[in-house]
Amino acid sequence: MSELAVLLPEALVLVGALAALFAERLPGGDRTAARLGWVLAAAAALSAAAIGVREPIAGGTLAFDALARDARVAVAALAALYLLWLSGSDLGRVREMAAFAQFAALGGMLMASAQDLATLFIAIELGTMPAYVMMGYERSDARTLEGSLKYYLLSMTTSLVMLYGFSLLFGLAGTTRFDHAGAMSPEGLLGSFAVVFALTGLFAKLSAAPFHFWTPDAYAGAPASAVAFVSTVPKVAGVAALLRLTGALSAGELLPLYFGAAALASMLLGNLGAYPQRDVRRLMAYSGIAHSGYVLLAVGAGSASALGYAVIYAIPSLAVMLVASEEGTAVDDWAGLFQRRPAVAWALVVLLLSLVGVPPMAGFFGKLAIFGAALDAGRTALVVVAIVMSVVSAGYYFKLIRTAFFAEAVPAPSEERARPSLASGVAIAIATAATLLVTFAVAELLSLPGIRG
Amino acid sequence: MAETVDGIAFFLLAFASIGGAVMMLSTRNVVHAAFWLLEVMLATAGLYLLLDAEFLALVQALVYAGAVSVLVLFTIMLTLRRREDAVRPFEPGWGALALAALFGGAMLLAISRAQLPIGAMPASVPTTADFGRVLFTQWAVPFEIASLVLLVALVGAVWWSGGDRR
Repeated sequence: MSELAVLLPEALVLVGALAALFAERLPGGDRTAARLGWVLAAAAALSAAAIGVREPIAGGTLAFDALARDARVAVAALAALYLLWLSGSDLGRVREMAAFAQFAALGGMLMASAQDLATLFIAIELGTMPAYVMMGYERSDARTLEGSLKYYLLSMTTSLVMLYGFSLLFGLAGTTRFDHAGAMSPEGLLGSFAVVFALTGLFAKLSAAPFHFWTPDAYAGAPASAVAFVSTVPKVAGVAALLRLTGALSAGELLPLYFGAAALASMLLGNLGAYPQRDVRRLMAYSGIAHSGYVLLAVGAGSASALGYAVIYAIPSLAVMLVASEEGTAVDDWAGLFQRRPAVAWALVVLLLSLVGVPPMAGFFGKLAIFGAALDAGRTALVVVAIVMSVVSAGYYFKLIRTAFFAEAVPAPSEERARPSLASGVAIAIATAATLLVTFAVAELLSLPGIRG
Repeated sequence: MAETVDGIAFFLLAFASIGGAVMMLSTRNVVHAAFWLLEVMLATAGLYLLLDAEFLALVQALVYAGAVSVLVLFTIMLTLRRREDAVRPFEPGWGALALAALFGGAMLLAISRAQLPIGAMPASVPTTADFGRVLFTQWAVPFEIASLVLLVALVGAVWWSGGDRR
C-alpha cells in the first residue's frame, strides 16, 4: 500500500476536482471551489517535486523517473495557475470548469507516468475527455457547440487511429509494456503501419501538421478561457507521453523521417497560416501548431529538451489566452489596451517576445536547447527552416503588440469586456515572471550547462 | 470432425458479421442500419465464443449488443421527428470506397507478410475468476482511470443537457 504514496499529487488534484463538483455545499460556492482547486494543484506540484524520482509502481505500469517528475510538476503548476485565474474570473458558474480542468490535469499527470499501452491510452482519454466539455462550455451558444462537436469527432477519430496502432504494436511485441529503450521494435511493413498509426494519434493531440486542420476551427468556436487551458496543459503531458513512447520504439529509419516531415509541415503551415488571422484564438491555434513543430524537432532528435520547450511554450500561451478571455477575442478588441491596462500590455510584450524566442525570455533558451539537440542529431536543414520560421513568426506576434500599444480603441468591442480581478492580475503576473525566470528551473531539462541557477 | 464443425461455424459467423456490416452501410433506413449493427455485434460475440473466450463473448453481447445498440436506437428515436426522416438517400462515396479498399489491401498485405510472435498459450483455458484476479491486481490502475473517464463523461453529459441557465 505504501508504494501508492507516490500518487499523492494525483490524489490532491482528484480531491480538488471532486470538491468542485460539490461546490454547492461549499461556503462561497464556485469561487471557493476554484480557490481550493488552485491551492490543491499547487500543493500537488510541490509534492510531486518533493517526491521526485521513485521506483515504478503498479507492477511497472506507472514510472516515476525524472521525465515523469518534471511533467507532473509542470502540469500541476499550470493547472494551479489556470485555476487561480478562474477563481477571480467573472464567467459565472465555474464549478464544472474547475472540475474539468482538474480532471484533465489528473489525466495529464498519469499520461506522463504511463509506460504501458493500455494505461497510456486510458490516461490520454482522461486528459482529453474534459476538454470536449470545456470547449463547449457556453452551452447556449450554437457556434461554441459546433466547435466542440468538431473537436470531439476529430479527437475521437484520431484516438481510434492511435488505438489501432497500439493494438498492432501489442500484437507484434506480445506485450503492452514499454519499460526500456527498444522494448517495442516492430519490424516489417506491419511494424511501420503500427508506428505511423500510434504516432498519428499523438501528433493530432499535439495539433501537429498534417493533423492540425481541426485546431483553428475548434478554438475559434470555444470560449477563450477554455482554449487557454486546452491548448496548453494537455500538450505538455502529451509531449512527455510522446517522449516516453518514442524512447521505447525502435523502428529504424522510419521514425526520424516521420518526425522530420511532421515537424517541417507544422512549422511551415503554423507560422504562415497565422498571418492572415483576425481572431486571437485562431492566431494562437496556428502559433500552437508551429510550436508543436519545434517540439517534434526535439522529440525526433530524442532529446528531453522537448518537454522543457513545451513548458516554456505553454506558460506565455496560457497567459495570452487569459488576456484574450478578458479583453476580447478579435485582434482589434485589443486596441487601446495600453491605455486601459498598461501593466498587462507590458506583460504581453514579455509573453509574446518569449513566443518569438527573443533573449532574455525563456523562449530563447528553449529554442537554443531544441535547435542544439536537433543539430547534434544531424538535422541541419530542418534547424535552418526552424530559425527562419521563428523570425517569420515575429510578424504576427508583433501585430498583437502593435494593436495593444498603438491602435485607436474601438468604441464597441465584439464581446463585452470582463472586469479584471486581482486574481487574474496575479495569474498573469506569475506567468510573466515565469516566462522570464523559468529557464533557470528547467535548465537541467534543457541541458544548458551555462545558466544553471 | 471437431475441426470441420468449427470451420462451418466460423464460416457462418464470419459471413454474418461481414455481410451484416455491408448491409448496415448500404441500407437507406437508419433504423434498419441500427439493427444490422446489432446483428454484427452478436455475430462477433459468436466468434469470441468459438475462440473459447466466454467472458469476452458475454461482455460483447451485454455491452455492445445490449447497451450500445440500444443507445444508438435511443439517439435515433430522440433526434428524428418524423418517420420519413429515418430514410436517408444512398450516397456511395466512391473516394471513400477507394480509400477503404486501399487501406484494407495494405493492411492485408502487411499482416500476411508480418512474422507475428507465437504467444504462449496457458495450459488450461483461463476462467472468469482468473480474469477478475488479473483485472483487479495487474490492471487495477487503468481500471480505476477508466472509472474517472466515465465520471467525466457523465458530468459532461449532465452539463450539456442541463436546462437551467446560470
